[in-house]
Amino acid sequence: MSTTLYVERVSPVHRLNPVTKLVALLCLLVVVFAIAQWWVGVGVLLLVIVPAAVASGCGGVLAGFALRLLLPVLAMLVLVQGLTYPGGQTVLWEWGPLALTTEGLLFAATIGARLACLVCASVLLVLTTHPGELMSALTEKGLSPKFSYIISSTLQLIPSFRDRADSILLAQQARGLAVPRNPLRRLGVLMPLLGPLVLGMFTDVEERSTAMEARGFGSTARRTSLVPVPDTTAQRVARWVMPALAAVAIVAPFVWGSR
Amino acid sequence: MSTTTTGQGNANRTRNLALIVIGTLIVLATYLYLVIAQPTELADNASAPAGLIAMAGYLVGAVLIAAGSIHRLSTVTIAMVPVAIALNIVVGQLVVVLALPVYLDSIGTVLISVLAGPAAGVVTGILTNVIWGLILSPSVLPFAVVQVVIGLMAGYAARYGMFRRVWLAPIAGAVTGVVAAMISAPIAAFVFGGVTAPGTGALVGMFQAWGNSLLASTTFQGLLSDPLDKLLSFTVVVLILTALPSRFLQRFPFVREYRVFRRPGVKAA
Amino acid sequence: MTDQGFVVLDDVTYAYPDADRPVLHGVRLEIAAGSITGVVGASGAGKTTLAKLISGFIPQVDGGDLTGTVSVGGRDLAELSLVEAVGQVGLVIQNPFNQISGAKYTVREEIAFGLENVGTPRAEMAKRVDDVARLLRITDLLDRSPYALSGGQMQLVAIASMLVLRTPVLVMDEPTSQLDPAGTRLVFDVLNTLEEAGLTVIVFEHKQELLQAYADRLLVLAGGRIVADGDPTTVLADDHTEEWGIGATRFTRAARIARDRGLLNGGVLPVSFEQAVETFGGPR
Repeated sequence: MSTTLYVERVSPVHRLNPVTKLVALLCLLVVVFAIAQWWVGVGVLLLVIVPAAVASGCGGVLAGFALRLLLPVLAMLVLVQGLTYPGGQTVLWEWGPLALTTEGLLFAATIGARLACLVCASVLLVLTTHPGELMSALTEKGLSPKFSYIISSTLQLIPSFRDRADSILLAQQARGLAVPRNPLRRLGVLMPLLGPLVLGMFTDVEERSTAMEARGFGSTARRTSLVPVPDTTAQRVARWVMPALAAVAIVAPFVWGSR
Repeated sequence: MSTTTTGQGNANRTRNLALIVIGTLIVLATYLYLVIAQPTELADNASAPAGLIAMAGYLVGAVLIAAGSIHRLSTVTIAMVPVAIALNIVVGQLVVVLALPVYLDSIGTVLISVLAGPAAGVVTGILTNVIWGLILSPSVLPFAVVQVVIGLMAGYAARYGMFRRVWLAPIAGAVTGVVAAMISAPIAAFVFGGVTAPGTGALVGMFQAWGNSLLASTTFQGLLSDPLDKLLSFTVVVLILTALPSRFLQRFPFVREYRVFRRPGVKAA
Repeated sequence: MTDQGFVVLDDVTYAYPDADRPVLHGVRLEIAAGSITGVVGASGAGKTTLAKLISGFIPQVDGGDLTGTVSVGGRDLAELSLVEAVGQVGLVIQNPFNQISGAKYTVREEIAFGLENVGTPRAEMAKRVDDVARLLRITDLLDRSPYALSGGQMQLVAIASMLVLRTPVLVMDEPTSQLDPAGTRLVFDVLNTLEEAGLTVIVFEHKQELLQAYADRLLVLAGGRIVADGDPTTVLADDHTEEWGIGATRFTRAARIARDRGLLNGGVLPVSFEQAVETFGGPR
């Protein structure tokens, strides 16, 4: 029972070590955020993210997510920054306080391309990486096992928590408590729902922590992991090369800019 | 429930405190740089990239604060964190279903901060955004630091008695909301170009059309929604908790040590 | 899983923090290695406290006032850290849903959680998980999700997750309270397997017929004191069981009535169905 967006497939992207994918994601973001040119984001999207998505066999799923998450925001971005960008000078069209400017549109394009990269690259990571494997890999690299415990455990908890919230909501409705139209009163509907939820969820906590301690959770020994995380020399090299490229991207604008 | 020897324990405690202090300084420095230097993004390419600084500074700061906080938590608290995160996410989604004009996505963070202290709130806060990113939408990830700040502030508010009376909690909530709005403004401005959602984007556009800078506009937009939202979150939490049996609340060491709630029948010395 | 397990409680008195009186009073106890010891008692008699005491959680986690000593295999638990103590004594808690970590995606990984925590090398870990799965006959569950199990299967996984740590002593706090009769049988059958493997098992349970059938020795806890100690049938057929707050099986109660009406003469009263058949069936 996995609540993340993970899609099980056999693909070269799925096979990569999760840490490699995470480093790639971070470096990619550094590159697109370091260079303030709209074509950088678009280039990364078309030349890196789209091919990776196709190779992973999750292209369609990713496109669906990207459109749903990005389209409303991007449309609004073009509208807002195109018309009201404070640094706008080259006016293309004007109406009262609103002025469509080239600078505003460029700004919207740059930010929009970056956001597209941010959303698509991170959704792709989640789509192609099993959360358990991600946590094992990060723990192997020195992440505190407490963090990985919390993340894995929350992911497993959320479905049952949702069911519990739904059933309490249904019970409330069965008692004739319809959802009122006034927003403040609607908040009132939420209140009797939360009390039992909180009490119910926190009562088992002590027993659970006893069980965890009984299984050596408090141990300071270096954790091992039952399931090996796949890794290759090429990936180990790539994990050093990619940050170096990102560093170049940070420095590059200063070099060009000073000319 | 630490099993380390005292010397090691002290060294670890110093290291953890140092991580939290450095992390907080980085977050503040990032904010101040962005406010004072007022980078204009596209105008000249030679200036340091504001979006990158906002993201990296906040991320590094949040991660350091969280790394310093996690080792302070007992196993019981660690077992509570997933519940608090689930509460954040499920209530946050429920609010969307009920079409309420607020977020209420930090009730769990406030709740655990009050019961188990700021360190628990910090860990809950940052991981809420990580998990939200994993299961719903990664665009919340750059805002992780905001949840960290909420956890810190709620925890200290509880420690200094703001949850002893029902009417004090909303005040602490409003103050937390103001700080949250200010801290999140550079992210909304330089990473999202002012548009994190269609509704908030329209507001930012309105402020910009009135002649404000991008950062000022996102700050104003945040100040319109965050204080109210956090005021409501703190109020909801104090109402839930005061309705629970006192025996349940007094089980938490943080609650006992800092007398977070008034104990019925026990007069203050 | 050999190791000499030997649990000794010497004049143990314990009170929880802020409590006005102790929950356990002057408990003296010696439990032999490689045996199954049952503990019964009414709720509030101190069962869970005793379980946590023997497994090192009291006073290390819960605090409170402890006098007297608890030792396992000759080592005083008070001188061990919690991590060391849980390496000596495994604890299976009441609710298997709380026993599993909730952070693992397969039963195999769930069972290995404790071994990962203490840094066991991978090959050793894999072997131990396979061994324990074979012992408990749950090999077919290994690749399932821990959340897709029945209550009985979940309890077996919970037991496996403790057994895999190979502690010489295993304490079980009401391991069958969440289980149906079939699941309960399954767990008690496993206890015999463990005893054969040389483990010292201490099981807190109220199902008297099962204790009669499986335990080597039975203790009764009442008001924080051990009020009876001996062979399970003798203890459970005693006329004082009502006084100790543990009641009696319907076979024992029926036999008491029969005896009081002069239909039975002397001897130990029956506890289980089989014993009742023997007592009442008479010579053919």
